[in-house]
Amino acid sequence: MTVSKDKVVVSIRDLHKYFGSLEVLKGIDLDVMRGEVVVILGPSGSGKSTLLRCVNLLEKPTKGEIWFEDNLITDPKSNVNKTREHIGMVFQSFNLFPHLTAKRNIMLAQRKVLKRSKEEAERIAIQQLEKVGLSDKIEYLPAQLSGGQQQRVAIARALAMDPHVMLFDEATSALDPELVRGVLDVMRELALGGMTMMVVTHEMGFAREVADRVVFMDEGVIVEQGTPAEVFDNPQSPRTQDFLGHIT
Amino acid sequence: MTYVRVAVFSLLFVLLLGSLLIAFPQSAEALETESVTATRNEDGGTDIIGGKPTRLSWEGRVGNNEKVMQIVINFPEGCELADDAYLFLQEVIMDDPMHPRPDNAVKHEYELTQESLIINFTDGLRPGNKVIIQVYGFQFPAITADYYITGTYVDDKGLSHILKEYSRPVSVIGGTALENFLVWLSERDWVKAWNSNAFCNSFLNPVRAVASVPTLFGGWLISVALVALGFPLAIPVGLGISFLRMSKLWILRFLSSIYVNVIRGTPLFLQIYIAFLGLPLFISGMDNFTTGFIVLALNSSAYLAEIFRAGIQSIHKGQFEAASSLGMNGIKTMFFVIIPQTVRRVIPTMTSEFILLFKDTSLLAAVGVFEMMMFAKIQSNISANITPYVVAAGFYLLVTLPLTRVISVFEKKLAATDGKEAPPEDKKKKKPETKRVGLFKTTVPAAVNQDTGNG
Ligand SMILES: Nc1ncnc2c1ncn2[C@@H]1O[C@H](COP(=O)(O)OP(=O)(O)OP(=O)(O)O)[C@@H](O)[C@H]1O
Ligand SMILES: [Mg+2]
Repeated sequence: MTVSKDKVVVSIRDLHKYFGSLEVLKGIDLDVMRGEVVVILGPSGSGKSTLLRCVNLLEKPTKGEIWFEDNLITDPKSNVNKTREHIGMVFQSFNLFPHLTAKRNIMLAQRKVLKRSKEEAERIAIQQLEKVGLSDKIEYLPAQLSGGQQQRVAIARALAMDPHVMLFDEATSALDPELVRGVLDVMRELALGGMTMMVVTHEMGFAREVADRVVFMDEGVIVEQGTPAEVFDNPQSPRTQDFLGHIT
Repeated sequence: MTYVRVAVFSLLFVLLLGSLLIAFPQSAEALETESVTATRNEDGGTDIIGGKPTRLSWEGRVGNNEKVMQIVINFPEGCELADDAYLFLQEVIMDDPMHPRPDNAVKHEYELTQESLIINFTDGLRPGNKVIIQVYGFQFPAITADYYITGTYVDDKGLSHILKEYSRPVSVIGGTALENFLVWLSERDWVKAWNSNAFCNSFLNPVRAVASVPTLFGGWLISVALVALGFPLAIPVGLGISFLRMSKLWILRFLSSIYVNVIRGTPLFLQIYIAFLGLPLFISGMDNFTTGFIVLALNSSAYLAEIFRAGIQSIHKGQFEAASSLGMNGIKTMFFVIIPQTVRRVIPTMTSEFILLFKDTSLLAAVGVFEMMMFAKIQSNISANITPYVVAAGFYLLVTLPLTRVISVFEKKLAATDGKEAPPEDKKKKKPETKRVGLFKTTVPAAVNQDTGNG
């Protein structure tokens, strides 16, 4: 983690999100620096997923600003697809394309979005699959892979786009316990490699070990944030204490 | 001036005279053949087929100054008579040319053989009268040729004359291999026994069945061509409509839903009538076939639109999100991610839609498109037998049964792979809510907040 942290990659200012009359995010301010790993914790329904999904505009913020590098992406005039090219996202349910092999899953957006040549896209796909330890599953269909393998393909697929930031929304929650580790290893590896990451997870061990910063959310607001040591060992807010008390 | 008037009057006079002459043609001096015709055979086509019973008609006119005591008609070589052949004779009394009086009770004796027909008139045919001679159960040779009927007659002075040869021959088509086979078939004992049962004869007459196969096959090809052109046309139209149905713009959704609901809410039969009466008013030069497959395509596009829409909406919303998060726009997402997955799911329903459309080609018979149903109807009418319809049913099944099989194979495959594809969190946490849409099961995305936390 020797990467310089002076540059802000994602900057969120007074972000509000309503679903109908339900206010899910109630004014979020958050900066994520280059190379920083921010782990977002919080009880179910606190708005963690919504926050991540706002960052790549899968949800449209109701109010507030989100800057991605030098672009105000909440500006209606900004190009959503262009922004998303540089923001990788990994979902709880993997969302691999079931009709394509692992390799083709990774090649598709490279070819259609980044307009890479077939050869280059293929080379990168194989390289990324090797990185996540699946060089023997290149031609497998998603249905032929275990959940953990599918999730690693999904990570490889996002990484092939050369993202500037990676969003992980409970990437391991759908996995059988014995498969969780392989995915977390890949994520740890990625963090060590200097990737900027926003991670929603319930894996406290991972958060403590990998996070540069832990953000605790509840009912649509950031209640507390700090280093893992600060938040885990010495939580200030009663809500954080309560949450961590239930977990451990 | 007067010169012109005279010219006009004389012209009118000439015209009047001319028309009178046409109306009352001058009677000839001797018995003349006025026409020789044969009716088409009972089972089809406009051709007179050799080797099969037909009705030979001979008409002539007695000369002005003679009576006709005997007529001899010589048949071409190789003609035959059916067992139940008989003669019909009529003298048309022309005393008042404006009101010819038919007389069916001419006193006569006759001798009918394969070579000739000899008729002796007890009182003679009177001058100027017409005579109509019809031989039922007459068979021309089964050789394609133009046949001339010749003959002689004897007048009241006992003089024999040659009948002037009628200039128009009877054109006969020689029996085809099929015709000959049908004759052979109809003479089999088992066929006769089978046909002696009224039900078997009406519905499953072997001779009628074989006889109808060639024409019905032609009609079947047209029916197949109608769907083969109509259905592929319906697919892109239906896909386009399904996109409009899911559009963000309410006006597009509104218009496309009108299209879909009107077409699905009214009978195709009615749409066919509207199109066949309406389209020619606006587009000239559209033949029945083209109009036919276009109506079928438009009709089917509405059903396909709903099939596609259901198919696309059955794709887990995570697929759209994954594609979006990779920077793919809506069109790329549709064509590279959603549609390829939808195709597999909609193939069974699309196939049954194809089957429906194929059967619906039969409705076009009502507006004169020569497809299989039309031919079956013609065949049935001329033979007064239901068998051609039964054969047509077989031809429809030739397409629909294998396709029905295809559907069930695909459905089994789908059922086998669908489970594997379901997002794992559905398996572990929430039971996927399945419902029937059309013929196939779809997994409906779980509720909005699918990330069930365990915090
Ligand atoms: N598309 C939506 N429409 C309506 N309400 C929504 C939608 N998405 C989320 N919500 C609501 O917003 C609130 C926050 O949801 P969110 O998924 O962000 O929570 P979370 O912190 O990720 O919870 P979990 O730990 O269970 O994943 C919840 O009350 C949820 O029901
Ligand atoms: Mg969530």
